[in-house]
Amino acid sequence: MVQYKPRHLASSFAALAMGVGLLGSSGISGRALAADKTVISVAYGETYVFDTEDLTKKWWNGVKAEFEAKFPDATLQLVPIGGGYDDITNKLSLLYRSSRTAPDVAQIATPVIGQFSSSGYLLPLDSYLADEAWWKQFPKVIQGEGVFQGKTYAVNTGENDSQLYYNMDLFKKAGLPVPWTPHNWNDILNAARTIKAKLPHIIPVWLNAGSSSGDNGILQGAGNLLAGSTVPTIYDKKTQKWVVDSPGLREVLDFYHSVYSEGMGANLSDLFSPSAVTIPLTLIAQGKVAITFGSNYYGGNWTKLICSPCWADATKVAGVVPIPTVDGHSPDIATTVGGWDFAVSASTKSPHYAWELVKLMESDINQINAANWAGFVPANQLIVKEPAFVDFAPPYNAVSAQVLPYGVISPASGDYLVWSHGLQEATGALAQHPNTTVDAAIGVMSDYVSNQLDSSAVETLK
Amino acid sequence: MRPENGERRGWWKSSAAADGEQQLDAVGILLLLPATLLLVVMFIGPVGFAFYLGVTNIALVGPTAQHFHFTGLKNLHRLVNDRLFWESLKLTAIFLGASAVVGVTIIGMALAVLMQHAVTWLRTVVGAIVVVAWMLPPITAALLWYAFSTTGGTLSLLSGSDSDILNDFPMTIVCLANIWSTAGFSMLVLSSGLRTVPAEVLEAGKMEGASRWQVFRSLTLPIMRPTIVTNVLLVTLLSLANFSLIYIMTAGGPGNATNILPIYSYQQAFQFNKLAYGALLGDVVVIIATVFAYLYVRVSRPSRAGYRPQGKLA
Repeated sequence: MVQYKPRHLASSFAALAMGVGLLGSSGISGRALAADKTVISVAYGETYVFDTEDLTKKWWNGVKAEFEAKFPDATLQLVPIGGGYDDITNKLSLLYRSSRTAPDVAQIATPVIGQFSSSGYLLPLDSYLADEAWWKQFPKVIQGEGVFQGKTYAVNTGENDSQLYYNMDLFKKAGLPVPWTPHNWNDILNAARTIKAKLPHIIPVWLNAGSSSGDNGILQGAGNLLAGSTVPTIYDKKTQKWVVDSPGLREVLDFYHSVYSEGMGANLSDLFSPSAVTIPLTLIAQGKVAITFGSNYYGGNWTKLICSPCWADATKVAGVVPIPTVDGHSPDIATTVGGWDFAVSASTKSPHYAWELVKLMESDINQINAANWAGFVPANQLIVKEPAFVDFAPPYNAVSAQVLPYGVISPASGDYLVWSHGLQEATGALAQHPNTTVDAAIGVMSDYVSNQLDSSAVETLK
Repeated sequence: MRPENGERRGWWKSSAAADGEQQLDAVGILLLLPATLLLVVMFIGPVGFAFYLGVTNIALVGPTAQHFHFTGLKNLHRLVNDRLFWESLKLTAIFLGASAVVGVTIIGMALAVLMQHAVTWLRTVVGAIVVVAWMLPPITAALLWYAFSTTGGTLSLLSGSDSDILNDFPMTIVCLANIWSTAGFSMLVLSSGLRTVPAEVLEAGKMEGASRWQVFRSLTLPIMRPTIVTNVLLVTLLSLANFSLIYIMTAGGPGNATNILPIYSYQQAFQFNKLAYGALLGDVVVIIATVFAYLYVRVSRPSRAGYRPQGKLA
């Protein structure tokens, strides 16, 4: 039988005491280390938002140095968040659950600002914005992306929109006109059909499909088409229901049906890859795809600075035009808009410094650098005309700036992501099974969204 | 006055004869305390809280992120009527059944038997390869199989086409990937089980004129039955927790073709921000795991007088 030995107990207590000591010592906060200065924290995406981690460090270290030089009695604590789009939102959600960990300022993805503001996490910024000249340069549609229940909770720090990229060499080989200006979706399909007939080894159209890229696939794919359809409604504000069947959705899915049933789309491995949205950057540069529904950041990515991939001849080969509307109806420009915003925590103890930080980050030079290094279109309509932005990736940046004011922003509700997933499944079904009909694809979407949100939460628009 | 009696005497009562036991109990409880506290704080507490969250309206972010409340049977009602949940449950059963129960056990057993009869150098090389496959992190195994089974990968080249086998047969491929990455573990467990089969029993079988297959089926397998059951249960638990493999390869797609419960739970909680429903789906995973864990404990418990687990397994 085991006998009690006093030293065992003593050593156990000693170990316990050491453990408690270690636990205690790990709880030293950054704020306590700089007790003599006001500490402001800012949380941001470390690996996802900017094109490279070096550029992330360069921009944020620059902001920190500039802020601390301007306000010697304050310290800026950087809170980088690794991972992708969902990881940043998830981490911010957890940080904001406690006022102790909530960052004073945060970089938040546009589609989730509404959810953060409705949680009571964000400070209304209207009184601060009232006198800011730069804010007046933002298009109304972008000013509105941070407005909920009449108050502005966030200011944009860079947008992404979409265009059509086309390979001019392939167009010339196929006998298509260069420069190319499609006026409606039939023009796109007809050009793709010509490519398929004349250059059978070339992928005629890259059009994101399926759910592997999440809502990014919609923002850089079907969402643009829906924005240019005859009925672009996603959420019916009158009835407070999600639209799962409408003439607009049918036009979009019919376009998908044409592309994939006629064998004009990319292969499934690429389309359903987790990195699907960035694959066309390489395919275009390799001359493997003729027409691409792509994002504004393509031009910047091909530059020597970003080099993802490097493509010195991009401007000679890759043309860019706005995506037209379905039938050419005014303004004959269709694009989604989604980006990143700065918001201030409702629980910040230093709203003055928090706002000063936002202002500093919204300066011309910081916004131009953010746009060029992260692949954004600046919201400020004076900055988009600056040579430092336009000439960084010509002619792509100019076209992305041109289409920005016509952009359509996704609904801010959390349920939008369910609706988006439903559309992703519908487009995925059309891409994977080319004999899927538009009715069947509508059924896939309708079933999914009804099942997730309840059949009383969805509707059909005629 | 109640007479002192060994059976009724409490550990706190003084008695020279019982001192050793008294103090052992006190120390035993004290020593068990940290483990009990850890279990309560790190496991029972969070799991209990997760069960509670499953019947609330908590969201990851949004109006009910902090101000959530108990919603009764609402989420359970949704669960019962959720077509995707039942589909997901079915897919989970297929994934566990096909990869863990059938695949891993059969491949693991085949490897173990072949290794037993292989020459030493071959046994060492094959054993090392299989164990390395098992030791690879799930992310590496997933990326290997992703590259292997998509267009341009070895599998499509071998099939002589540019087909995308992963997206054409998603559940089959993720099951094969799971079998590939878990068979090493199964082989190790079953190899050690094979070594416990008494040689004289097998020899007796052979002397009675039984063929190799008969010896294996009628002697080796019944003797190894507890080891096989233990292996199946362990591999099932490992597979149930193998979220990353499927998430990296297909993220539950295409469509919902590989949307097993852990993936569906993650999607609801961290992509749709519906933390409560995600927690409820996670609770279902916990219940499934608990059933398998209970069976594992039952099977692996050493036999003692008067106790015969599963009767035939003792």
